[in-house]
Amino acid sequence: MSKRYDIVVIGSGPAGTTTARIAAENNLKVLLVDKKQELGSPIQCSGAVSRHALEAVGIDPDEEFIHEAIYGFDIYNQLGAHKTIDYRNLKPTEYGESAGKKPLGYVVDRRRFDRYLMTQAERAGVDVWLKTEGLSYEPNVAGDCRIQLRRFNEAITVQAKVLVGADGLQSQVGKWAGLPTHIKLQELASCLQFIVDQVETNGLLEIITGHEWAPGGYAWVFPKGHGYAEIGLGVARTMTKHNAQWHIEHFMKNSFFKERFEHSKILEIQGGGVPLAAPLKTQFADNLILVGDAARHVNPITGGGIHTALSGGQIAGNFLADFFQKNIAATSENMKQYQEQWLVALGNKMWKLYEVKTKIFRTKDIPERDEMLYQTMSDYFSPDSEYKKI
Amino acid sequence: MSKLTPVIFQIGWNACINCGACVAICPQKAGFISPFNTIAVDRPCDIACLICEDICPVSTITHTKAHPEHPILEKTKKQ
Repeated sequence: MSKRYDIVVIGSGPAGTTTARIAAENNLKVLLVDKKQELGSPIQCSGAVSRHALEAVGIDPDEEFIHEAIYGFDIYNQLGAHKTIDYRNLKPTEYGESAGKKPLGYVVDRRRFDRYLMTQAERAGVDVWLKTEGLSYEPNVAGDCRIQLRRFNEAITVQAKVLVGADGLQSQVGKWAGLPTHIKLQELASCLQFIVDQVETNGLLEIITGHEWAPGGYAWVFPKGHGYAEIGLGVARTMTKHNAQWHIEHFMKNSFFKERFEHSKILEIQGGGVPLAAPLKTQFADNLILVGDAARHVNPITGGGIHTALSGGQIAGNFLADFFQKNIAATSENMKQYQEQWLVALGNKMWKLYEVKTKIFRTKDIPERDEMLYQTMSDYFSPDSEYKKI
Repeated sequence: MSKLTPVIFQIGWNACINCGACVAICPQKAGFISPFNTIAVDRPCDIACLICEDICPVSTITHTKAHPEHPILEKTKKQ
């Protein structure tokens, strides 16, 4: 006889672990699987997350995973003019390094962060299997679903009432359910970043706009702790004939930061695809919901996905707790309530941001588009931004 | 080459940074993945849209025309 769980979660990133942890805290029997041997690696993310995002889902900012505290933003246009949004100056009684004051956010080590979140889930009672790959799922007449897994080469079938696909942008779970998960080339930013030594930073997330440096996206310089920095960018491949590697070299050698980067030494190379896209229109099916990148819970303006994964995971975990209380069938219709709740809490705002983003990148005139992006980014990170908490 | 001609992808593993962007953009059905979390390299791709080659941040994906007698293409023909 196969093992039986209330919920199986595939993918142990911020969204999957948060869903699993909250479901387990509500006394559900949860299995969390991930095909990797160590989480978070290879890193495909810059690691910036607000303090609010962690606190809202009950995660203490722990030195185990924090690279460096962040106090604000510096938004640049193509030529180097910039708007500094430093909360140490804007709200000096609240934000700062000294005792009693707080950071605005953090740059985290995704290897340590994802492992920390998994640990919290395990402590809440979640069973975790690493080196375990999901192969398929099949709803059955009894109202459950059968999930085929492979764990250290061994085929295992698990029964569950609900499968949670938290398997990232490369989501296979969504495809199993036949959901239209396909993302357009112009909406997936091709990203590359270097962790570097000998580039100074000042507790701010620096965002550099401009078609010359990052067509269809932006470049960034983030503090990475221990005196290191992270230099990265994402480009829309439909807007340039060059790849991200060419663009990052061009940015480092030819931009207004060329002197600053002159002595930089590369310590790590990371990349990834970041969706600057709308959330998935259908994030549910019979016995199934999707969370995090798999549901494209990513901010379409910033490409930020940790906060949205944590919040989405919390919504999913609470939805599942409630769903199991009701003792109703896991039909597609009943699973839809998850998406409805998510839209109210987060999704509708993300759709609005997507419209803002689309308007910018549909603008044909490059200087006009660059100005729109610079203004939007500057407004987005201002203290009075209506989108501050996404 | 017509984009509808099935292709087999090659990945220059030396440059591959395992970023997953090729899998993220791939419109193929579930399972078109290599054991190294890239698009599959051991069977033909009949869509051949080649957007995985575009999205790759280090341009390390190339392709050759799939041999028409490749066992997987043969199987598809018979179905």
